[in-house]
Amino acid sequence: MTEKTNHPLFRKAQNIRIKTLEMIARARKGHIGGSFSCTDILVALYYGGILKFDPQKPAWPDRDRFILSKGHSCEALYAILADCGFFPEEELSRYQQPDCILGGHPDRSIPGIEADTGSLGHGLGIGAGLALSARMDGAGFLTFVLLGDGECCEGAVWESAMFAAQHHLSHLIAVVDHNKMCVTDRLEDCAAMEPLAEKWSAFGWEVREADGHDFCQLLSVLGDVRQRSSRKPLMIVAHTVKGKGVSFMESRLEWHHGVPKEAQVEQARTELEELLNCERN
Amino acid sequence: MNGTECMKISDVDTRDAFFDELFRMARVDRNVIFMTADMGAFSLERFKQNLPEQYINVGVAEQNMVSVAAGLALGGKNVFIYSIVPFVTLRCYEQIKVDLSGMNLPVTIIGIGAGVMYGGDGPTHHALHDIAVMRTLPGMTIINPTDSVLTEASVRWAYNHPGPVYIRLEKGKLPLLYDDRNHDLQKGWSEVREGQDVVIFSTGFMVHTALKAAESLAREGLSVRVIDVFKVKPLNEPDLIDMMLRAERIVTLEENSLIGGLGTALAEIRADAGCGVPMKRLACPDSHCTIPSSRDSIHRHYRLDADHVAERVLNWVRNNRETA
Repeated sequence: MTEKTNHPLFRKAQNIRIKTLEMIARARKGHIGGSFSCTDILVALYYGGILKFDPQKPAWPDRDRFILSKGHSCEALYAILADCGFFPEEELSRYQQPDCILGGHPDRSIPGIEADTGSLGHGLGIGAGLALSARMDGAGFLTFVLLGDGECCEGAVWESAMFAAQHHLSHLIAVVDHNKMCVTDRLEDCAAMEPLAEKWSAFGWEVREADGHDFCQLLSVLGDVRQRSSRKPLMIVAHTVKGKGVSFMESRLEWHHGVPKEAQVEQARTELEELLNCERN
Repeated sequence: MNGTECMKISDVDTRDAFFDELFRMARVDRNVIFMTADMGAFSLERFKQNLPEQYINVGVAEQNMVSVAAGLALGGKNVFIYSIVPFVTLRCYEQIKVDLSGMNLPVTIIGIGAGVMYGGDGPTHHALHDIAVMRTLPGMTIINPTDSVLTEASVRWAYNHPGPVYIRLEKGKLPLLYDDRNHDLQKGWSEVREGQDVVIFSTGFMVHTALKAAESLAREGLSVRVIDVFKVKPLNEPDLIDMMLRAERIVTLEENSLIGGLGTALAEIRADAGCGVPMKRLACPDSHCTIPSSRDSIHRHYRLDADHVAERVLNWVRNNRETA
C-alpha cells in the first residue's frame, strides 16, 4: 500500500472506476481510457471540498461551474454525479439506451452538466465567458474546466487561453488531464505539445503541476483556489496515465474507446477491487 | 450626439442604424454585451467609449468569440457578436452549431458584408454560402434586413428573442422600404410591390434590385409582385406556400450561391406543398468570385443587376427559356 492508495479519496475513486467500467461494458461503448485517467481529478474536485455544489439544487446560482471540456470522458463524471445525488443511480445502468438521460457526450439536459460538450476545444471559451459574466455580476462562484491534452491541439483552446489571461480571469481554473495520448497516437508522435506547462505559462496563466493520481498533490494544488491573490487564471497540469487502474489498459492507445470483453471486464474489476481490499486491509 | 436620435432614419447608413440602436439598448440594459473579432465601425466608437465594460474586442479569434459568448449567455447575458460574414459564420460554424444552436442560447451573430458587398476583396470576404449553411442549424433565426428601418427593428427583435439569431448586415444607405420603426419582424415577409403575372421572392439588398427590375418589366407589360423575405429562417411557410400556390410564376432572387439559399428553401417548401407553379431561381453561380471589381460590377457579371434580372425574367416568361 502506498501513500496514494492510502488516501481517503482513493476508495471513492476506485468505486467510480468500477461503475464506469460497468457502464461501458453494459453499453458496449464509451471512452474508458480517458475516463480512468481523469477519475482522480474529478474525485478530488467533487469529493475533496473543492467544488461548491448542491445536488438537490443543480441550478443554485452560487454553485461553482464545472465544464467537462473533454466531454468523451463523461462516463466517469456521470458515475460521480449519480453518486452525489444529481440523478438516480439507476440511470447509470441504462447508459446510452434510448430512454436514458445519459448520452455518449454530456448535455445540459442532465442535472449537474453546465454545458454541452463532445467537440473538443469549446469548453475553455465557454468557461471564460461564464467566469467573465460572474465578474460582471459580482458573483462569487468559480468556474472549473477539465481539458484533455490531445484537446490542446485545437487552436481554439489557445484563443481562449489568451482571452482568459487578457481579462485576468483569476476565478477560472482549468485542469489538463495530461495522459500524453490522443486517439491514435502518443501525443509526442503527432504534435509538439511539450513543454505543455511552459506553454500555458507563456500564455499568461499561473501554472501548477501535479501527479493526477495523487490526491495529496491534487488537493494541494487546488486547495487555495478561493484565496488566490494572483490575477492570472490558474492551470493545473495533471500528469496522468490513460486507462489508470487496470494493468492491461494503462498507457495503451487501444483503450481510448476500446470496450472490454467479458473476461477483460472481470479482470479489470478484480484489479480495481484488489486495490480496494488492499486499502481495507 | 451623433446617433440616429437626431437624424432622419432615411439619412442613416444601415450599419449605423444597427449599432446606434444597439447602443441605446445597451445603455439601459447592462446585460447587453457586444463582442467584436477586431472589426470596428464609426458608429461603434461611442459604444466603446461610453460602455467599455460591455464592449469586448476578442482579437482575430472568432471561434473563441462564439464560445465566450455562449458562456456569457449561460451567465445571463444578452450577447451580440460581430465580424465579417464568412469569419463569423463559416470560420466558427462548429462553435455556432454546438455552443449556440445546440444549447439554444440568446446570442446574436452580426455579419457585415452580405453577398459580394466586399467586391474586389475577393472570395475570402464574400458571403455567398452563409445563408445556406446557417439555415441548417436547429433553432437559428436568420434575418436579412432590407433598409435602415428594418435593420434597426432587427436589433430589438434579436434582443427579445430567447435563442440564437444571425443578422446579415449591409453597409451604406439603401432606399427606405419601411416607415414603421417598430416594425414587427415576426411575420417574416412583406409585400413591397403588388403584381399579378410573376412573384419575385427576394431578400436583403436584392429586394431593391427586384423592385427596379419590376419597374422595367412593368414597361414591358408584365405585372410583377415583389415579396421581401427578410426572415430567411424560420420561413413563414403557410403564408409563402399560399402565395406560391396563387402565383402564375415564381422567381427567387438573392445574393447567395444558387445552392442552399432562399431559392433552395422556397423550392423545398414548394415541393413539399405539391405546388407545380413554374419557378426560376436567380442567384450567384456555384463558383468563387475572383473578379477584382465592385459589387455592382460583379452583379452585372453574374447578370444579377436590375437590367439583367428584368431581361432574364422577361425571356423566361415570354419564351419559356432563359439563355445563358
